[in-house]
Amino acid sequence: MPDWLTNIIGQDLSDGLAYITNGKHMMWYASFRFTIFAGIFGALCALTFGLLGAIMLNSNFFLFRLIGAAYANVVRGVPDVLFFLFFPLAFEQGVEYFLAKSNCTADELAANIGNWPPCPDAQWFLGTNEYLILASVSLGIVYGAFCANVIHGAMKSVNKGQLEAAKAYGMKPMQVMLRVHIPQMWIYALPGLSNIWMLLVKATSLLSLLQIADIVLWADRLGAPNYLKQVGLVHPDWRWKYYLVLFLFYILVTFLSERAFAYLRKKTGKGMVDEAVL
Amino acid sequence: MSWFDAIINDIIILAKPSLFNIYFALASIPIGFLFAIGLTLMKASKSKIISGIASAYIYAFRGSPLFIQLFMFYSIMLSLNLSVWKPMGIDHIVLHPLFLGPMILILNTSAYSAQILYGAYQNVPKGELEAARSFGMGRVRQFLSVIWPNMIRLAWPAYTNEVVFLFHATALIYFTLPVINEQKDLMNKAGELFEKDYNVFLHFSVAALYYLAISFVIFLAFGLFYKYLMRHEAAAKIKKFKFSPKYIR
Repeated sequence: MPDWLTNIIGQDLSDGLAYITNGKHMMWYASFRFTIFAGIFGALCALTFGLLGAIMLNSNFFLFRLIGAAYANVVRGVPDVLFFLFFPLAFEQGVEYFLAKSNCTADELAANIGNWPPCPDAQWFLGTNEYLILASVSLGIVYGAFCANVIHGAMKSVNKGQLEAAKAYGMKPMQVMLRVHIPQMWIYALPGLSNIWMLLVKATSLLSLLQIADIVLWADRLGAPNYLKQVGLVHPDWRWKYYLVLFLFYILVTFLSERAFAYLRKKTGKGMVDEAVL
Repeated sequence: MSWFDAIINDIIILAKPSLFNIYFALASIPIGFLFAIGLTLMKASKSKIISGIASAYIYAFRGSPLFIQLFMFYSIMLSLNLSVWKPMGIDHIVLHPLFLGPMILILNTSAYSAQILYGAYQNVPKGELEAARSFGMGRVRQFLSVIWPNMIRLAWPAYTNEVVFLFHATALIYFTLPVINEQKDLMNKAGELFEKDYNVFLHFSVAALYYLAISFVIFLAFGLFYKYLMRHEAAAKIKKFKFSPKYIR
């Protein structure tokens, strides 16, 4: 802390400032990148899965409809945290299964029945980045199921005349879907999608369950009581203060998201005749 | 052991842990509902201060993750331990997850339910209210015989969703609060089984099956009550309530 700054703001404030800008706190601030990445990449995955699910639900082919309905209903029927833990583990084991097929000898496989991984060569080490991507994809799968329903409903709301007109112009079913149906669906899907975005943002707080050193884990570490002067400021259990900051952070994100979606709805609703949209 | 026996075996093992999830839900739903009614009335109040407090509460608890709320309240309760709970001699009760878990869930679900009830409150038919007023009913009478019956009918389908969501949220409690001895819920136990034989598909699927089945029972029970609520309506209208939940919290 430079002296001139200490002179201006006083010793107490200066100490506080030094505390919240020390190396560990900088790590905490930097760990927000995981949350932001999971939010954005997870949302993109959710939209992709949602669109695929909705197209399947909309399909004329019975089997596709069945798969779409199973996806949309089963994934939503279990807690998000269960799927959030299940998918990365299952994916890891799937990869390790294929690694075992190519890397392990028959003797090793026979000796390791009931163990996992089947042999040391088949172990797939996952770092923070791999877990982050897997976590985002599993968020995408969970909230994609929500999106599938919203988008499916929105596709039903699109004016039939528009689709018939497109067909009358000689478009093929796929062209109708891509050029008319999906572009017109967004405005109806927006309110539902904004709800899902809020849910997804809140679910990004779960990253620490996958050993990612995210904001929650850092808040826990920083707030833990410290009685050693060498380690930094001596303080009792301050975890509630750090969690309060996160509590407020998420409220702020919700507030900003609400604003952004209200703006988006106003913008995309321009020129729409349908009163229900506005 | 064939895969079928393995599933049956898992179902038996996970039966007791599922009771913890059911307990958390059962302990928090009724009190949370009462709190939600109070919050709704506060939010509908004419006083700007009272309605502001209720709105802020609802916004804060709906706008932040339950995971953070659990951590936050647990750490607040812990930091009050030496100064408040210990001297009063109630620390082992207050800090017990079987007490603290439902308490935080109540705070959380009352905000979500209050939002649902408030939405229903705003949609109570104006004509019925005017009729009640012209009959000379007092405010309490108005609420009991006109507003409340309308409100509960309008809110019930959405409230059903909320209860299912709350049940799913019970999975988070033991990720944040300490697990005492064998008091494990579905996720804990499934995780423990997974660490023994690394069979992620079996154990997590059976846990998921439990969640699905109990969600289904909730829908069924709440659907039956909805039928009872709507008994004055034509049968065709009631049929709308089916197992196709919105799941949007």
